[in-house]
Amino acid sequence: MVRLLTIVLVAAMTVLAGCAAKVDYGDATARETVNTDFGSTDLQMIAAKMVDDMLVFPPIVQMTSQRRPVVFVDRIKNKTTEHIDTESITDTIQSKLLNSGKFRFVDMTVVDRVKEQLDYQADSGLVDPTQAVLMGKQIGAEFMLYGNMSSIVKRDSSTKDVYYKFTLKLMNLQTGILEWSGEKEIRKTRNNTFLGL
Amino acid sequence: MKPIHVLMAVLMAAVLAGCSASNMASRDKGEDGQYETVLKSNNSLLYSRLQIAQLNERQVGDLMQVQATLENAWKFELDFQYKFKWFDANGFELAPEGQAWRQLILPGRNQANVQAVAPNPTAARYEIWVRE
Repeated sequence: MVRLLTIVLVAAMTVLAGCAAKVDYGDATARETVNTDFGSTDLQMIAAKMVDDMLVFPPIVQMTSQRRPVVFVDRIKNKTTEHIDTESITDTIQSKLLNSGKFRFVDMTVVDRVKEQLDYQADSGLVDPTQAVLMGKQIGAEFMLYGNMSSIVKRDSSTKDVYYKFTLKLMNLQTGILEWSGEKEIRKTRNNTFLGL
Repeated sequence: MKPIHVLMAVLMAAVLAGCSASNMASRDKGEDGQYETVLKSNNSLLYSRLQIAQLNERQVGDLMQVQATLENAWKFELDFQYKFKWFDANGFELAPEGQAWRQLILPGRNQANVQAVAPNPTAARYEIWVRE
């Protein structure tokens, strides 16, 4: 009887331990295929493709050989049916381009706060005028980076197919000329299978 | 536990470990200044099926660009991931968390070219890692 109770107790403890939630860290760069929604792997693939394409495009190579042009990142228009944080994609692209040493960026998302700080330094009377940052010395962007993200979704009773297309463009603000454009296509398919077979 | 069960468990563990292990190929400049291909493997199954048919490097401006021709020597489709790692002349990895695994599905007896550009001009050598 005691032996039976011990076995039942051990079995119960094993089951309960198995039910306990487990939190662990994973590889942020590993392939993620939880579902067909836009995910981290898609973001990383898009950023890598855009940056690689741009950095080896001959006119860009020539343009960046002697200087680091200043770029500002406009938004990526999300034309898909999903909520996608497109700023996160452009942030990754911007970081990679900046770290390549080929481009410099102006960040238009913090202009208000920069202006506030410059006003404080110039007008508050609390900052030593000889140490204050001078107004009107910022460098204007020469190029604008912008683009689109679109998708086509098709499904039937057992299959869902999602096609994403990301387009990025680099425009010369002075001339209005498109200096470079890159595209990345992604296809994801989910098949509902019986018993995972 | 019967010996046959122990053997099966050991074999299963070995197979699972093999599935998660990576293969690596790199190109280093030898003493004579010529590039030499270095292959390392922890995954004998993938190593026997996937081969690097060719490695090409070129300088695009001051950035290194690499193209690897991967060949599936197996008759069935191979679904695997690869990534490039870049190192400077002192052996420091460049942007170690910036390179993501990329997926490639290669039909049987087929080749595919994969390309990558160094994250910055200090890159002096590279490695290609492959895993299932």
